[in-house]
Amino acid sequence: MNPELIELRDSARQVLGESGLGASEHQTWPLVLDLGWLLVAVPEDLGGLGQGLAGACAFYTEFGRRVAGAPYVPAMLAIDAICAAGRADREDWLQRLTTRDYVTTPLADGELTLTSSRPGKPRLSGTAVAVPSADKASHVLVASSDGDCVALVPLRQGGVELRERPTWDRSRRLFDLRFTGLELERDMVLASGSAAQALCRRLATHRDFALAAGAVGGAEALLDLTVDYLKTRRQFGRPLALFQALKHRCADLKAQVAAAEALLQDALQRAGEALDGAAAGAAGREARLLACSAYAHVAEEALQLHGGIGMTAEHHCHLFLKRALLDQHLGRGGNRYDLDLADALLAGA
Amino acid sequence: MDQIPIPTMTTGGNPEALRAEVRAWLQQNVPQGWRAALTGTGQDAFVDAQRDWFQRLVKAGYATPHWSQEWPGGGRSLAEQKVIFEYVARAAAPRLILFFVALYHAACTVMEWGSEEQKRQHLPGILEGRVWCQGFSEPNAGSDLAAVRTRAERRGDRYVINGQKTWSTLAQFADRCLLLVRTDSSGAPQAGLTYLLLDMRSKGVSVRPIEQITGDDEFAEIFFDDVEVPVSDRVGEEGQGWAVAQSTLASERGLTLVELTQRMRYSLARIAGIMRERGVVDDPALRRDLGRLIPKVHAACALADRYLLKRIEGTEVAGDASIVKLNYARTLREFTLLGQRIAGLQGQYQEPFIRGGGMETGNWPFDFMNSYNWSIAGGSDEIQRNIIAERMLGMPREPKNWTLA
Ligand SMILES: Cc1cc2nc3c(=O)[nH]c(=O)nc-3n(C[C@H](O)[C@H](O)[C@H](O)COP(=O)(O)OP(=O)(O)OC[C@H]3O[C@@H](n4cnc5c(N)ncnc54)[C@H](O)[C@@H]3O)c2cc1C
Repeated sequence: MNPELIELRDSARQVLGESGLGASEHQTWPLVLDLGWLLVAVPEDLGGLGQGLAGACAFYTEFGRRVAGAPYVPAMLAIDAICAAGRADREDWLQRLTTRDYVTTPLADGELTLTSSRPGKPRLSGTAVAVPSADKASHVLVASSDGDCVALVPLRQGGVELRERPTWDRSRRLFDLRFTGLELERDMVLASGSAAQALCRRLATHRDFALAAGAVGGAEALLDLTVDYLKTRRQFGRPLALFQALKHRCADLKAQVAAAEALLQDALQRAGEALDGAAAGAAGREARLLACSAYAHVAEEALQLHGGIGMTAEHHCHLFLKRALLDQHLGRGGNRYDLDLADALLAGA
Repeated sequence: MDQIPIPTMTTGGNPEALRAEVRAWLQQNVPQGWRAALTGTGQDAFVDAQRDWFQRLVKAGYATPHWSQEWPGGGRSLAEQKVIFEYVARAAAPRLILFFVALYHAACTVMEWGSEEQKRQHLPGILEGRVWCQGFSEPNAGSDLAAVRTRAERRGDRYVINGQKTWSTLAQFADRCLLLVRTDSSGAPQAGLTYLLLDMRSKGVSVRPIEQITGDDEFAEIFFDDVEVPVSDRVGEEGQGWAVAQSTLASERGLTLVELTQRMRYSLARIAGIMRERGVVDDPALRRDLGRLIPKVHAACALADRYLLKRIEGTEVAGDASIVKLNYARTLREFTLLGQRIAGLQGQYQEPFIRGGGMETGNWPFDFMNSYNWSIAGGSDEIQRNIIAERMLGMPREPKNWTLA
């Protein structure tokens, strides 16, 4: 991490720290806008901070650490796509979406198809799933399932139906978006054909890294919380942290979280700038798989190690647990990552 | 030292140029077909092959990159050392097991603690192929190394040694031994230890190789029966043995695990190949297991690399080394378990094993058993967990003077 990024990250850590654990979207979103955090990964020549994916990940980690409610990741993904798509009017869009209007994008793969009834005017049908905070978004960035079209679709119009899908995770408000033959205006299409395919790969990779980075932050914070609790809670006339059975479990978790974090940084390096490339894709999938598994495991153990107090709604443990549970199903879905990595290795063998 | 030609270091302090040099050298020098040649052989063939490989590495200057500048091949930065280890791993070259204690533990201990006289006496010999072993562990001093009981009694200018060491790797071939002995039992256990450089040919030393569960006999017991050691073979002061032993144990910190994690990374391709050969490449359960292992292997590499970087930058903190080692040991175990699942029943039929072939030789039950080297030796997984919990997470240590309830 360069010194500028470390400074940015530290200030984000401080600001998010002041809002407390599990702060709502309502509390945290204004901070995102006021402090210009959506500009972290935007290239400098477009008026951003030019910190790239590594910079974005440093912020995702902080949001994960505080289980913050702001729909930061989807907005960052959409903004990255707008920058990468290279449209002439992108600076206007950036200006609008980083200061005023909210843009979102699905965190999981839905079923979206394009049919072209009139030449040059495709129609969008199907459902986009796991779209955070869609009710307050002016636009959603979607891609057709075949990857041939990426579009920035205005939400407040006919042909789009929003359905809120509450999950156990209170740090995200997810929606399904149903499109029924919505006609896409030409200027809503960011990319089509092979350019869209490349943009889809970039989005998927960025999304994997975002999930990984958020999970690393959550896992680190939850482990710290748990170890602190064990140091203060006394039973049998001694702090629980004295019992080796518990120390060893914490040490194993620490090693797993450290491994996930080291892999994330290594994967960011391997990914480099070409986020639509195969190397970046594989690196992101690895980071996502290991980090989200580690987070889920820390969460599973943390609840046990807290005893009864962890089962109470007022304790913070469950905020992490529920986010970790959902995380495993975001991105390409929990059941694909391992198989995809094996496929890639076996294809080369 | 005069007899040994100083290798020409064409690349100076430049790791990038060194890459090309090392790669080219390895292409020419890794003995063709060494794996087959060392499969199912006795220790003698292994020892010969190790000596040959060692001589080549010494001549090229690749055996001693960690030694100081005035030594042949020495004066390499940690970054350059890493390059060498990485390429040796990538070339699937033999591991330099027989000389490992000599090159790292003995050399670093003598360089750090030895007198000028001791340096002159021992370091050139190491380059000539003198083999060293480490005599720390005893039947009753394993994880609790400070419990060492082997006695050394001072008589004039000699110590007289009585007692027993165990688990000493390749002691049966050793010329010298790094020996940790007790010279005083009155105070704290650590305070009464002294460190000697024992000539293994001394009268009263006997070595008995231990047959291991793999059929190998890589380690041995050493017995001492009134063995006389000149006081001049002591390193550090009497009673300073614990501190000297700590530097011995820290001597190869980092580099070995860079090499071994890289070897594990390249072995992923091997395991994929074996799935093809065995016709189980489409087995969904195996594919899933393999897919889960891949990021763990890469994370083990990333952790080892990062640890070395921390050492280069001087930012290492207590517990960092334990995380790398624990993580490697666990990942290696998983690797060998998967290897066994892939090999199936076929893998259980006994095949001859290869000596010095690394940790993922493809003889999976053998590799699985060998993986315990890493979870037991050099501070077991449980000891690493204690260190992580206590020194990194700040969880309390057990009280020192507990008694059974
Ligand atoms: C392949 C191999 C090569 C070796 N080579 C050498 C060598 O060259 N020279 C040398 O001196 N030694 C060598 N050793 C010895 C090695 O250092 C010891 O085996 C190691 O220190 C563990 O000691 P131990 O075997 O007595 O096990 P013990 O200390 O008896 O441990 C038994 C079990 O109890 C656990 N345990 C111990 N203490 C604690 C604790 N405080 N908390 C929780 N669990 C604990 C251990 O983790 C282990 O699971 C070698 C060992 C192996 C396996």
